[in-house]
Amino acid sequence: MLQRTSFVDYIKNTNLAFSSLIQLGDSNSIYNFSRALAVQREVEFFHEDEGHFGSYSTFTKPISFAPITENIQMVRHNLKPLIKVGKIDILGISSSSALHVGNTCHLINESRVKHIRHLQPREDQQGSSEAGRP
Amino acid sequence: MIFEVYNRDLCVENIRITGVASSSMVLIGDAETVQLASIFDTPPESLIIGPFVPLIPDVT
Repeated sequence: MLQRTSFVDYIKNTNLAFSSLIQLGDSNSIYNFSRALAVQREVEFFHEDEGHFGSYSTFTKPISFAPITENIQMVRHNLKPLIKVGKIDILGISSSSALHVGNTCHLINESRVKHIRHLQPREDQQGSSEAGRP
Repeated sequence: MIFEVYNRDLCVENIRITGVASSSMVLIGDAETVQLASIFDTPPESLIIGPFVPLIPDVT
């Protein structure tokens, strides 16, 4: 199957982080996966072995996609088999994201982030000692 | 379903993007299947006000 060719003059990217990808050229299948426990503490004290992903349902619950029940047959007529782009300027690509110049068959990205904030008790508060529930 | 596509001229001058984040994708080209999934969790229980209690340690 003849596919279109991508033609890009200029790419500028400043940040590429956490299982992200810049792919120049065709690919068959790509799977990017990342997970993060983002802990912000008023008192910046961290133990070395803190944080277990399996303790939180955020990282264990399955992601289900709606099933495709329709039988889809796709027919392409590439009358002009060229995709032309002048300049691409991206500040940041992060957490299982991708910039892909070229054709691909299957591209799957998955990212899971849980934010936790630890604040000190205030003078006028008893404070809530409710720990993060799994 | 039969999905018939006619690809003619496709020409873009400039693309400027601040961020591509959390399982996003910028694709210049063709694809067959794309699956993008992201879970971002900041429930009320994630805000802890009180004395320091470390997270459950990673035992692996």
